[in-house]
Amino acid sequence: MKIAVASKGEGLKAEIDNMFGRAEYFVIVDSENTEVKSIENTAKNESNGAGGKAVKLLSNEGVEIIVAPELGPKAVTAVEAFKIKAYKKDSLKTVEEAVKAYKEGKLIEFESASVREHSGLRRA
Amino acid sequence: MKIAVLSGKGGTGKTTVTSNLAVNIPGCTLIDTDVEEPNLHIFFNFKFNQEDSIKTEYPIVDMEKCNLCGKCGDFCRYNAILPAKDKVLIFKEICHNCGGCEIVCPTKAIQYEKREIGKIYRNNSDSSIHMKYGELNIGEMSGVRIIEKLKKSVENDPIVFIDSPPGTSCATVAAVEDVDYAVIVSEPTPFGVSDMKMVVEMLKEMKIPFGVVVNKAGLGNNEIYKYCNDENIKVLENIPYSREIAEFYAHGVVFSKNMQSYKELFINLFENIKTILEPVQEGGQ
Repeated sequence: MKIAVASKGEGLKAEIDNMFGRAEYFVIVDSENTEVKSIENTAKNESNGAGGKAVKLLSNEGVEIIVAPELGPKAVTAVEAFKIKAYKKDSLKTVEEAVKAYKEGKLIEFESASVREHSGLRRA
Repeated sequence: MKIAVLSGKGGTGKTTVTSNLAVNIPGCTLIDTDVEEPNLHIFFNFKFNQEDSIKTEYPIVDMEKCNLCGKCGDFCRYNAILPAKDKVLIFKEICHNCGGCEIVCPTKAIQYEKREIGKIYRNNSDSSIHMKYGELNIGEMSGVRIIEKLKKSVENDPIVFIDSPPGTSCATVAAVEDVDYAVIVSEPTPFGVSDMKMVVEMLKEMKIPFGVVVNKAGLGNNEIYKYCNDENIKVLENIPYSREIAEFYAHGVVFSKNMQSYKELFINLFENIKTILEPVQEGGQ
């Protein structure tokens, strides 16, 4: 199962970004073989709907689990439609910590959007 | 003759200048194109009624026909349509109604539906000033369509004053497009001048003749006069920074109605613009 973490940089040691749709990178970890792949977030500079586009990008990579700091309303809708589960990063700092916490079942799932629309644009 | 009143920064006095022009020029039409926050109408005791409902269209997908090929999502630069695993998500509030998804759809699964984005209001036709304003519904992204419809509805009126949205956004471009003249209202403050420069660049690009009204003159510094002088921009009038004017404004009163000395200033402003435009109009014939 592939887990994607919104991050500021590449690799397991990278810091988790404070935005989802406009995160710099996504670090994708395969829980079966622990393979790590970092991809640049091509949705981050979209004028609108970065969250939805980022979800689509991750779905194309075969991701089934997302760990994010916040999710906007459109990202939440998209996560459901792409049958992906999204978890809150809470106080975790790095990609590695997030993946470990997911495996240990410590993460809490997003039930609804945690921020208003266009929050990423305001913080970008 | 269509004259737009605009500014770089908000709160410089667009509505003040537009409303004072209107009360001193008989037979004019007044439109408020700041549809995100129309306020010109509160300075007049007219009764307004809804004249028009402005609609935009958004796609709906027939899932019987859709094969989830993804072409619509790849085409849409606004990410308003997003094909997912077994359905197509539509974020209708960010759709710009370009029609592209319908064209690229190979199975003809996309159709459009209308929804309202705003309204146009007008006053009674027997009022002394013919006035309209647009209002964008809460949560909508763009009022350009309302502004275009509003302007279209008064295109045959002889004298139209257009209160524009501030800044240099798409809405401002829509408000000033095709006008004969633009009046930039600016404060003589560093902030006012800085934002005015962007408006100057926009109007030059759009090839619209323009001049400047300095409002709250006496405030700030002389940078605005130096800039206008260096750039060969005409300063049409100065409205002083005055507590009396501010008090009238705060009470919703068009101040030149109560301050006789300013009637002349606004009549002069209009006459001045007419004189500037005369040779241009002759040249165009």
